[in-house]
Amino acid sequence: MNLVTNNHFVSLSPSLHAGSIADEGELSTVCYRPEGLDRLVQQTKFSKKELQVLYRGFKNECPSGVVNEETFKNIYSQFFPQGDSSMYAHFLFEAFDTHNNGSVSFEDFVISLSIILRGSITDKLNWAFNLYDLNKDGCITREEMTDIMHSIYDMMGKYTYPSMKDSAPMDHVDSFFQKMDKNNDGVVTIEEFLETCQKDENIMQSMHMFDNVI
Amino acid sequence: MAAGVAAWLPFARAAAIGWMPVASTPMPIPPQDKRKAQDGLIILNVSGTKFQTWRNTLERYPDTLLGSTERDFFFHEETNEYFFDRDPDIFRHILNFYRTGKLHYPRQECISAYDEELAFFGIIPEIIGDCCYEEYKDRRRENAERLQDDEEMDMNNDVTPVNLTFREYLWRAFENPHTSTLALVFYYVTGFFIAISVMANVVETVPCGTLPNRSKEISCGDRYALAFFCLDTACVMIFTVEYLLRLIAAPSRYKFMKSVMSVIDVVAIMPYYIGLVMTDNDQVSGAFVTLRVFRVFRIFKFSRHSAGLRILGYTLKSCASELGFLLFSLTMAIIIFATVMFYAEKGSTASKFTSIPAAFWYTIVTMTTLGYGDMVPKTIVGKVFGSICSLSGVLVIALPVPVIVSNFSRIYHQSQRAEKRRAQRKTRLARIRAAKIRGTNAYMRYKQNGLLIDSLEEASKEAGQALVGKAASPPFESQHHHLLHCLEKTTNHEFVDEQTFQANCMEISVMNKSGSRASSLSSSPHGLSSCCSRRHRKKSSFSLPSTNNQELSTIQIRERPVVNSRSSLNAKLDETVPLKCDEPYITPSMVSLSAPVVTSSDGDSSTTTTAYSQSNIVRVSAL
Repeated sequence: MNLVTNNHFVSLSPSLHAGSIADEGELSTVCYRPEGLDRLVQQTKFSKKELQVLYRGFKNECPSGVVNEETFKNIYSQFFPQGDSSMYAHFLFEAFDTHNNGSVSFEDFVISLSIILRGSITDKLNWAFNLYDLNKDGCITREEMTDIMHSIYDMMGKYTYPSMKDSAPMDHVDSFFQKMDKNNDGVVTIEEFLETCQKDENIMQSMHMFDNVI
Repeated sequence: MAAGVAAWLPFARAAAIGWMPVASTPMPIPPQDKRKAQDGLIILNVSGTKFQTWRNTLERYPDTLLGSTERDFFFHEETNEYFFDRDPDIFRHILNFYRTGKLHYPRQECISAYDEELAFFGIIPEIIGDCCYEEYKDRRRENAERLQDDEEMDMNNDVTPVNLTFREYLWRAFENPHTSTLALVFYYVTGFFIAISVMANVVETVPCGTLPNRSKEISCGDRYALAFFCLDTACVMIFTVEYLLRLIAAPSRYKFMKSVMSVIDVVAIMPYYIGLVMTDNDQVSGAFVTLRVFRVFRIFKFSRHSAGLRILGYTLKSCASELGFLLFSLTMAIIIFATVMFYAEKGSTASKFTSIPAAFWYTIVTMTTLGYGDMVPKTIVGKVFGSICSLSGVLVIALPVPVIVSNFSRIYHQSQRAEKRRAQRKTRLARIRAAKIRGTNAYMRYKQNGLLIDSLEEASKEAGQALVGKAASPPFESQHHHLLHCLEKTTNHEFVDEQTFQANCMEISVMNKSGSRASSLSSSPHGLSSCCSRRHRKKSSFSLPSTNNQELSTIQIRERPVVNSRSSLNAKLDETVPLKCDEPYITPSMVSLSAPVVTSSDGDSSTTTTAYSQSNIVRVSAL
């Protein structure tokens, strides 16, 4: 089945079983159960076994079946103990949360992963563009890129070599715009982005690096 | 550290796609999954109880028994399972550690049995989760104290070791009277003399009949003055000798002199000596009489003989604030009622309530329900308030007392626990820091290994041997490190640990002062510092500025020693590298230099960036 096309703003509207247990005014615990395994196999490019492994890990960390931003940030920060990964995790969360409802269910999670890991180059680049485009208006401004860059550099933490200068992210943003912004209008559109990336060997190569992650 | 969320590593790696378009340098090669491990179930039979888990779960912690090849020793072929002849109840917790990443301590288990199991399965107890750590440490300390008490008792029952110096022997005799007969004798003798002395002080004030030619009764102390004086002298002599002996024998004389018991000793014998020195003068005899009061402090010398007294003193000291509050509330009540009574009785004639302070006495006597009757109110208003006073006295006194009593035990235990927690906090913070440093060091090692293995691969290919790498780190670890490496490449900065960072800062300031210019191989001193600074922290990073310029101008290319033996290939990195990393030589395998870019010593990051992007410098660990 065709995977999600370039325009992954199309929401697949998965049907979720929401079971809530409300007991005499206590907090209701909501459990989301994902759709059947078979439907997910159809919707993504993962095999059954891979989905099983993914779900087990997902459920282990989030027994309720959805990830909220706090848990997301917490999990991500365990991989980057030296620095502060909360901003980047926030941007990632925004990118994964395709329905903008403040939580990432297993479907959202797996669909995004499928694009990143098993999608075509264009899909991947689109996803990356969507990550950078914070307000989802179709172009990356300098401010957005600066925010992204700061969040990436924050993950490095304080103890780096050479010492982290305050201007390091800005300089990086400048070089990025220099490379990507062909018509020098101060924003990078999706076409410019795709075009520049497809011409860059390094980027092309690195896009394939995590293909065998699962 | 992130092993608990190992299942999310694929997600973290996938999320790294966000760095790719902004990175200007090529990414490092991902580690190969040499074995695409089939994630199968493993059966663990522990004394008949079967546990099952995924293979990957166990392999998250490769330095434990279950996660390493050590478990193969327990493989039982007939039943195709791993059999352990251990306690299944405790094993449950150990297996949960693999599953959740947190080790819990079951409260109902014996601490030594639990420790044994942990040691057997190769798990260090320090990783016990926060929820159970305090309990674990408490139980452990109790156990250790119990063992220590047992040892001490045994030790005290043993024959005294011969090689104690006389001083140590003496101190030991004083502190533990039951170690030798002489010490016991001394203990009882001093106790006897304390009792004698106290009784003498008491008896010498008793009236003893009249002298034949006087009508007034005189006290026994005056009548048999000489006898009492001799007795007092004897006691003081014994006490002085005891004090001097203790002072001589004390391991730390200054500490001994500061201790409470020695102060009591001094106070007990001082009045006698002062009395000897002072002449029998009327002016000072008043002061002298006051001094004799201090003789009663001799009774506190009994606290060496009684543990109960010591405990009482300690608890009083620790409940001082509660006692203070009781005193304060009592004082408030007293003042209130005294004022009321004074003004109520002001009108009556020949009232004993002459002032408010005079009314204090009445209030105290009434509130404590003593009721001496020397002061009584006469007016009706006075009697009304007097009865209110006595009723409230019952409450005011009776209520705080149980609170005080329970506060005693509560505060006592609380202070114990607070001290424990404070002591534990330092070690726990140190633990966390050590784990962080371990993580960073593990990451540094990974980077060394990555390059080392590459170069070893080349070497072994040349030598035509199969590559036997170092004990393979688990795929999770190497993937995590690869992820961190990608981040470094994206931002063109490297992770270093705290000490190196500070050393580098100092180095930069030194280089700034000397105004030397680093040449284009700005990356190589970095390679030096990152590789060798771990081994010679202070040495190399300070010698760098001086050797920098000479080193860089002549790149010393050493023959990489051909590694012939499999054993050295097998050897862990830690063992091989230090042998060769004596001096910071560079052994570049592929170094391509860009056009000399003169960078200022504090490394303007943008030019460094361009230097990085232009040159493909492979940093090789110095071998």
